[in-house]
Amino acid sequence: MLRLVLIRLASFVPTLFVASVILFVAVNVVPGSAARSALGIQATPQAIMRFEHLHGLDRPMALQYVEWAAKALVGDFGKSFQNAVAVGPEIRKRVPVTLELAAIAFVVAIFISVPLGALAGFCHQRGADVVVTTLATLFGSTPSFWLATLLIYGFALQLGWLPTGGYTAFSLDPIANIKGMLMPCIALGIVSSGLLIRIMRTAVIEVMAANFIETARSKGVSNFRLVTAHVLRNAMIPFLTVGAVEFGFLVGSVVIIEDVFRIPGVGSLVLVGIINRDYPVLLAAAMSITVIVLIINLLVDLAAQMIDPRQVRTGH
Amino acid sequence: MRLENYLRLGFVSLFGMAIGAGLPYTVLAQEGKYGGTLVTAFSADPGGFDPARGPSGMSHVVIEQIYGTLINLDADAQPYAGLSESWTQAADGLSWTFKLREGLTFHNGEALTAEDVVYTFERIMPEDSGYAYRSQVETIDEVVAIDELTVEFRLNRVTGPFEIYMAFPGSSIVPKDLLESGHDLNAEPVGSGPFKFVSYTPRDSIQFVRNENYYETGRPYFDGMTYRIIADPTALSNGMKSGEILFSNEVPPKDWNAVISQPGIVNAALEGSRYYWMIPNHEKGPLENKLVRQAIGHALNRQAIVRGAFFGQATPILGGVIPEWNWAYAGLDVFKPEGDIEKAKALLAEAGVVPGTPLSLTMVSSWPPMMSMAPIIQANLAQIGFTAQIDTMEVPRYWDEVWGPSKFDITAMYWLSPLADPDDFVTNTYATASSVSVHLGGTEEMDDLMLAAKSAVTIEERKALYRKQQELSLEDMTVIPLVNGWVLTAHTDRLKNFKPMRTGFLKTLKDAWLE
Repeated sequence: MLRLVLIRLASFVPTLFVASVILFVAVNVVPGSAARSALGIQATPQAIMRFEHLHGLDRPMALQYVEWAAKALVGDFGKSFQNAVAVGPEIRKRVPVTLELAAIAFVVAIFISVPLGALAGFCHQRGADVVVTTLATLFGSTPSFWLATLLIYGFALQLGWLPTGGYTAFSLDPIANIKGMLMPCIALGIVSSGLLIRIMRTAVIEVMAANFIETARSKGVSNFRLVTAHVLRNAMIPFLTVGAVEFGFLVGSVVIIEDVFRIPGVGSLVLVGIINRDYPVLLAAAMSITVIVLIINLLVDLAAQMIDPRQVRTGH
Repeated sequence: MRLENYLRLGFVSLFGMAIGAGLPYTVLAQEGKYGGTLVTAFSADPGGFDPARGPSGMSHVVIEQIYGTLINLDADAQPYAGLSESWTQAADGLSWTFKLREGLTFHNGEALTAEDVVYTFERIMPEDSGYAYRSQVETIDEVVAIDELTVEFRLNRVTGPFEIYMAFPGSSIVPKDLLESGHDLNAEPVGSGPFKFVSYTPRDSIQFVRNENYYETGRPYFDGMTYRIIADPTALSNGMKSGEILFSNEVPPKDWNAVISQPGIVNAALEGSRYYWMIPNHEKGPLENKLVRQAIGHALNRQAIVRGAFFGQATPILGGVIPEWNWAYAGLDVFKPEGDIEKAKALLAEAGVVPGTPLSLTMVSSWPPMMSMAPIIQANLAQIGFTAQIDTMEVPRYWDEVWGPSKFDITAMYWLSPLADPDDFVTNTYATASSVSVHLGGTEEMDDLMLAAKSAVTIEERKALYRKQQELSLEDMTVIPLVNGWVLTAHTDRLKNFKPMRTGFLKTLKDAWLE
């Protein structure tokens, strides 16, 4: 297990290198200059030159990359072009917020998808299966920002139960934290559950067809025990593997939701980085999301192997 | 009200009676309530907190709370004492002498003296200073500290809006010793204003706390303020409607009626200085001809733009761009609110433009009013025989590919004039040397008129010159004025004694309190 962890950690290095090069080139070749975005309507040619010189944007891209990467390796992501805020500390403050949002949303998605997916799998090609599959399609195709708007209208504006947005740290006020997180997590969780329901359903159908299930049935194992001890346990492995990908996707898709609910996470920095061509902010935010996704994938692989150690032996 | 507040109020009243007319009317006894945090909402992040660097309007509404200026402007744009208790202009108009208040301090406890004033201006005066509003200080030859509390500004030309410039957030006085020690004001702004800076989280909020040592005794009333940054317009409106946000002067026009119809919300909207104009490229095909530009000006249905793009929350500009509330308003009603298609067609016929001539209309995709007005303008252009195509582009690309190189037939822009001086409405837009004059037009005659208007000594002289400039601008139709958007301010009815400013500035928040 330790060897596997080390190998996977070592594989992060080339992945991060390639990701950073692609990101760096991408942000530098997209149309729209950082200087004009920062200076706005009154950007004179002199002011633009001054800005580009000050931030080293007038030098070759390769040189800019090497300098950026060298500093990034020691945790220095530079300062925002827009407001001169140091990017590294800002990212460190925001990563836990985004992780909390994505994690709770993932839990919501699991709470929806495991029972519904299992139900559909058990009732394969029966009424419940059709209903659940239709629901999964509906959930998966709903834009999360639209769902967010509906939730805000209902629970914040009409009923007044929850705030329309904003974030309070859990350590400051746990109740306010949960109240603020509920709607964004439900909006993200419902949309994510669309795919996860289908994965769970397929996994259950496959397990149900396996020989050992027949054996268990013939031994007279009760339906409840069959589901909890045999079917779900075995179906969880493919579910978790795909779930990890979905969790990574969740971390990446918080961008709009963070903006709609005014949550100061990494996602909102990605958005502001793109809109303002604020490259230090955009690069640091996007790279931190890449690292999070890599680590989550690693953790979920490890979890899958703990559930089914055969994966280590067979090299899956 | 607690005993100490009564005592404080009593002191304020006595102080007001003792000094009388030397202080702004707002300081004179009014029963205010101390405490509370005002939670406000804005749509954009500030571009830094250093007065010399912050180019954006959002920077300014932060800077004006943290720093002090020599002069303040009240809600009617009238100057009153700021850091300086008095000031005089020399008979020839070429020098101004300011007498600072005694005992002024910065938030870090250091004394604020004439040396800080000199340092502040020497920092922004050089050509390569990078100060975005250098045109405001270009007529200053030198700033001299006469003694610890007296500063003299020597000018190379009479500067009409000089007092207004001294009240501008960019002219905020910064602490010399602190900056010389390498302090970065963008990371932690230190001034002498009514509120101290606490923290800034990008795309989230800015926190302020009351400056207990503010020079206007008894001000401010709030314990602190939170500026929330809410980029999504609907999220901002929702925050107002639910009562989480107590104040905003950026309520989106689309939600304005829904917000102000909520119980407990006060409508404090007023016509401001956010005006929109259409820019014809003077080097593109038929637009080279002023008759064509005039024709387009007459064809536009500004009333429809007000309804369709601003939900009624704007005033059509029927003549020059200086608005009716400003002292230099000329009342030149050249355009009809609904447009005059016949007149436009006659002008086009005179210019010899063939029906069906193509034009492109390039708009910024993320500015809702621009996107909403585009089809209205397109329809108006079609009525007089142009086939207009609407192109849209996101902001950074727009600056780079459209605005910077003047690569458009027609585009539109808006400008929130941060000054109440008429020069700010016209020079940026019309002067040939301005970075905003991407129309590639303008005339020497108009440049001279604007310079003369800015340098004239009396208001009457200046007013007459601005009238002439505006007449000329409508004859040349350098740009095509559209509408003047209102400053859509709404706030909780618990907020008392707040006076909205037409420039969108919020200095008057120091005089308001929460009940």
